[in-house]
Amino acid sequence: MKKVIVVDHLVKDFEVLEKESGLKGSLNSLIHPKKRTVTAVRDLSFTIQEGELVGFIGPNGAGKTTTLKTLSGLLYPTSGFVSVMDFNPWEKSSDFLKQISLLMGQKNQLWWDLPAMESFELNKEIYEISNKEFKKNLEELVNLLNVSTLLQTQVRKLSLGQRMKMELIAALIYKPKVLFLDEPTIGLDLTAQQSLRDFIYQYNKKHNATIILTSHNMKDLVDLTRRVIVINDGQLIFDGALEELTIKFAEDKLIKAKLSSEIDVKHLEEIGMVKKFEYPELIISVPRNTVAIAASELLQNYPVSDLTIEELPIEDVIRTVFNSRNVFNSNED
Amino acid sequence: MSLIVTRTKMNKYLKILEISLQQEFTYKLNFIMWRIRNIMQVLVFFFLWSSVFQNSNVNYFGYSKEKIIAYAFLLIFVRAIIMSSRSVDVAGIISNGELSNLLLKPINFFKYWITRDISSKFLNIIFSFVEITVLFLILKPEIFVQTNFVNIVLFVASLLIASLIFFSIAMLTSFVPFWIPEISWGAQFLVIVIFVEFLSGAFFPLDVFPTFIQNILKFTPFPYLVFVPIQTYLGNESIQLSLLSLTVGAMWALILLFITKKIWQKGLKVYEAIGR
Amino acid sequence: MKQLVDKFKKYLRVYVKMTTNSFVIWLTRRSAFTIFLIGKIVRYSFYFGFLIFLVKNTNGFAGFSGNQILFFTATYVLIDTLAQFLFRSVYSFRQLVVSGDLDLVLVKPVSPLFRSLFGGADPVDLITLPAIIGVVIYIGSLLSPTILHTTFYILLVINGLVISAAFHIAVLSLGIITTEIDHTVMIYRDLVSIGRFPIDIYKEPFKSLLTFIVPVGVMVTIPAKALIGLVSPLGIISSLIFGLALLFFSIKFWHYALKKYTSASS
Repeated sequence: MKKVIVVDHLVKDFEVLEKESGLKGSLNSLIHPKKRTVTAVRDLSFTIQEGELVGFIGPNGAGKTTTLKTLSGLLYPTSGFVSVMDFNPWEKSSDFLKQISLLMGQKNQLWWDLPAMESFELNKEIYEISNKEFKKNLEELVNLLNVSTLLQTQVRKLSLGQRMKMELIAALIYKPKVLFLDEPTIGLDLTAQQSLRDFIYQYNKKHNATIILTSHNMKDLVDLTRRVIVINDGQLIFDGALEELTIKFAEDKLIKAKLSSEIDVKHLEEIGMVKKFEYPELIISVPRNTVAIAASELLQNYPVSDLTIEELPIEDVIRTVFNSRNVFNSNED
Repeated sequence: MSLIVTRTKMNKYLKILEISLQQEFTYKLNFIMWRIRNIMQVLVFFFLWSSVFQNSNVNYFGYSKEKIIAYAFLLIFVRAIIMSSRSVDVAGIISNGELSNLLLKPINFFKYWITRDISSKFLNIIFSFVEITVLFLILKPEIFVQTNFVNIVLFVASLLIASLIFFSIAMLTSFVPFWIPEISWGAQFLVIVIFVEFLSGAFFPLDVFPTFIQNILKFTPFPYLVFVPIQTYLGNESIQLSLLSLTVGAMWALILLFITKKIWQKGLKVYEAIGR
Repeated sequence: MKQLVDKFKKYLRVYVKMTTNSFVIWLTRRSAFTIFLIGKIVRYSFYFGFLIFLVKNTNGFAGFSGNQILFFTATYVLIDTLAQFLFRSVYSFRQLVVSGDLDLVLVKPVSPLFRSLFGGADPVDLITLPAIIGVVIYIGSLLSPTILHTTFYILLVINGLVISAAFHIAVLSLGIITTEIDHTVMIYRDLVSIGRFPIDIYKEPFKSLLTFIVPVGVMVTIPAKALIGLVSPLGIISSLIFGLALLFFSIKFWHYALKKYTSASS
């Protein structure tokens, strides 16, 4: 297998100007502007093989977008090395740009006042695709996303979900081999999220495209990716299969039981932490290494009719990961 | 009790004034650019007329050289008072729907924008004084200075009236997007950047026009924005005529403010009906 | 060579597509279209109307006859309108930077400068241009120029457009470096509008400023003077070199700005 993406000891610093509040403050920063260096990515290394679909997770401001921008050539690394398909992204050679695509859930490339079709046709010229290929690709994408009736509608009149699908078509009309998807499902309703996920899955399979996907939506990751890379505060904290993430970071497991008669919850605390008790359903969280003992104790001493042992939901695991480092911040990016 | 209420109400608008000033500082480059644009307009005016009056003691259009130079310098000040305004932003917030945020707040829409205008005018006036001084030192022109106190009082009154006329014109043109949202600030561009600029006397003294055009213009609100105040200062007309102009201007201000209020109420109904 | 031709063809196709797009947009906004058209016509009528009344009463000024003064203004209107027609997309560039959508332009295999500068011609000017060219030819013919001087004039008007392009590129670059200024391009418009009168009316230090720092003189006044026959061949050649140099430096500035952008924003 070919290594398509190589990131080696990547560091990216930014200089930011600090603004003070208040009239006095703004006068102050007018005279003495304060500069501060912020390290968005510190010493990040990973490689991705051809055809992989990798999830990229981290709280807001962890450096995900910065990494994607560096990989697509928008940002110049402060230090370290990146390569994509053996290109140095920063050089932005035409051959490189024609094979990658960057899609950001909150930014758009479509001409707002025109039907999406016009933007696709512009991309056809920009990416130098033949008429035949354009027609073929368009038909395929339109069918996959089921938007054939919307091609002639002004983009501003589309719903967010419809617009995102059109953005996807514009981003994929030239069949890029590497896709950087930054929050593609942000703000979409559940149906739209699902159809976008299905589409990404199929595109990956069909064209053996390499995809990096960032998302705050765990469903995206569970459904789509086998491998996840977790970064926090610009640093890699995990790189591996999604299930391993749970094993590594979740100290507890969940025992779910169905009871056949009412019991006193108090005594249950000796076995583990009661997460939920609504007769007849009971959920207790117990440390991973004692889960077997706890289960047998439960079976012996209580009127249990059914019992299963499960991993913590991935959302909870990830929350624990970020919380333990005490940087989780939900309103800043 | 009622005194306290008025106090807190006043505080509200004082705070708006402060924030508005702060905003101008945040966008300091914008502000400086706006000043530069104003000065450039006036410089073109100054040099054009200096060149017209070059080596001749003839009067053109009823102006002596000293008076036309005074016209140029007064333009800096008058433009700073009349034409610097934040209420021109209203068109934008109506067409993009941001108006809703403002409507939800317990503040009076017109008082809010008048407060913001005052902050903008305040800053601009300060700058205009500095600019006038600097330009005066660079250009060392021979200039006419009005010494008659009555003219100066009437001048100040005419500036106040002109500000009100400009405010209502800015508002009225801003309300067009209530009915045609996609036009945004288009209507404002047409009226303020084109008609006000050329017909108010800000671009050239209206005396350049043939008499019959001047007479027609007197029946529009435009000359009362710039031309009439400057004429009043220069004392080109008798006090009686200046008073008459002032009265007509005041009537325009009242009529326009009344229409502005009516149109605002109508527009708001349309806005709410669409539910933007 | 073939590669170059292919590249040219690609850019031509992209340009045609972007221009059609912007024409279609205007068609969907008929009310705005009408307003801007009226605005332009009224503005130009006022320019000329004012000047005609002025020169009628003063018989010209600054050593130029009335018709010559009118020709300076006509040349200004011509170059200003041509520039607006060509470089219209500069006006909406700030939005692209502020929203961050510029990122998506930068990852495309087409020059971002080309996209930002020529991204859609303005059809409003397509309507006004023929009338303006008509006015320029009419007033110009009243000055009865020689064929040589007319050639100089055309050459220098093109040079004026090159200088204007340099200005617009500088405006774009500034728009990348700071998003604090809303209407840098309007400042350019104001600066150029200084050239609606021959720059001879301006006194020092402004005259030198307008010749060397903000070369409105070379852009607008010199072409008109060349038609009147007041510019030597040497003056013409140095004007052309000056225009090209400005273009060169503005492109340098653009690359600098782009580098700054891509290494600064997060």
